[in-house]
Amino acid sequence: MKKYIFCMKGIIYKELIRFLKQKSRFFSALVRPLLWLFIFSVGFKTALGLAIIPPYETYITYETYIVPGLVGMVLLFNGMQSSLTMIFDREMGSMKILLTSYINRNYLLFCKMFATSIVSTLQAITFLLIAKIYGVEISYVAIIITIPIIIISSIILNAFALFISSVIKQLENFATVMNFVIFPMFFLSSALYPLWKIKDSSLLLFNISSFNPFTYIVESIRFSLYMKFDSELFMILVISFVITLIMAFVGFKSKKINHS
Amino acid sequence: MKKNILELNNVDFSYGKKQVLTNVALNIKEGTFSVLLGLNGAGKSTLFSLVTRLLNLQKGEIFINSFSIQDYLNALKDIGIVFQEPTLDLDLTVKQNLYYYGSLKGLGFNETLVSIQDEIKKLELGNVMDTTVRNLNGGHRRRVEILRALINKPKLLLLDEATVGLDLKSRFDILAYVRDLVETKNISVLWITHLFDEVTLEDNLSIIKDGQIIDSGIVKDIVKKYEKDNLVDAFNFLVR
Repeated sequence: MKKYIFCMKGIIYKELIRFLKQKSRFFSALVRPLLWLFIFSVGFKTALGLAIIPPYETYITYETYIVPGLVGMVLLFNGMQSSLTMIFDREMGSMKILLTSYINRNYLLFCKMFATSIVSTLQAITFLLIAKIYGVEISYVAIIITIPIIIISSIILNAFALFISSVIKQLENFATVMNFVIFPMFFLSSALYPLWKIKDSSLLLFNISSFNPFTYIVESIRFSLYMKFDSELFMILVISFVITLIMAFVGFKSKKINHS
Repeated sequence: MKKNILELNNVDFSYGKKQVLTNVALNIKEGTFSVLLGLNGAGKSTLFSLVTRLLNLQKGEIFINSFSIQDYLNALKDIGIVFQEPTLDLDLTVKQNLYYYGSLKGLGFNETLVSIQDEIKKLELGNVMDTTVRNLNGGHRRRVEILRALINKPKLLLLDEATVGLDLKSRFDILAYVRDLVETKNISVLWITHLFDEVTLEDNLSIIKDGQIIDSGIVKDIVKKYEKDNLVDAFNFLVR
């Protein structure tokens, strides 16, 4: 048991040191959602009228609406980037060190994803604090309550990213992943507009969005930031957590190393 | 009689249709310095990846310290590994890299340092422990990787072309240090190389060509067997 604790501690320790040393990576991860908050939302708030929808009990500003989606964006980009790094590193560098450890490989992968999720959570919290300073109504208590949801969501996205980059060879490239995974997942969700708005325009896209796990991640964050609990959403999140982890472990195991 | 610390029996491996290793058998005795010598592309690194479980075994058996590689939780417990390519995290200090690796071996930070205290001195790394790896030269980085492999006192040390890219002095310093580990710590070493000047007449040698071990034994016996003057001639005769 002790060795598993030390192992988890060591992997988190390494990720946090790298995070603290790579400040540019930290800021660039924040710039993207902040641009959406500061610029995109200003342009779109007049175009998009929002009805009162759960969990909100009153009319809210568009900035308030998109903040959970932008938190999801931080987690999505980080998850994809780190999982792709894991796939690349499997053939070179520090991942080899990880994989030759005598500790259970699935546990090591979980530790790595958990460590990444802590880094993503720190970025997401920073984003939420900036959004609060900007004027979006979020309480500090709500941010604290949301941390576990952010961590679980981040692990789901890391695991999903690890799975797809393991099994689809063509996705070993971040630009391709952006176009074929990140953007479709992001836009086909409730991150930028409520699903009923999509339903009004296209039933097909609404149905696709309803099956998109990212939608439930965004909604879980939204409910939590509004200090509401939805048991159905929580169950979906837990089930997604288990399924994506299994997919990641199986996918990573089946990934072949290319030797030159 | 010394027991086998590493044993490979009838190991085959292919990448798709390309057969890379064929019926490989290799025994490394406890407390010996053994060399696997072969040209580039002979299959050395594939064999190394199989022993370290980076690649899954397709056919045959591998035992490390009597544990099958399938039982990797026990088999990999007592080995130290130095990869051909750099595997240190450049953004971390030497100490942080060691802590990280120690944690992957299930050790706490203090236990990690205690397990290699003597070796830090021998490798003259005491004054660079808090230096970021990025700021170290190639020779120092290599020594740190060897030091890292010695965490938790392994019984078998695997080194894949560990001196590639280093100047002559650094190469022979590292080689001398690793040979000394065999003498003083009874650690078994498998030294994988394509460089003849790293092999002595007393070493246990296995020669690999096109994925097959074509001869094994003490170097001087192999040289004598083929009636050659030196290892280079014997090797060229065997792989021609």
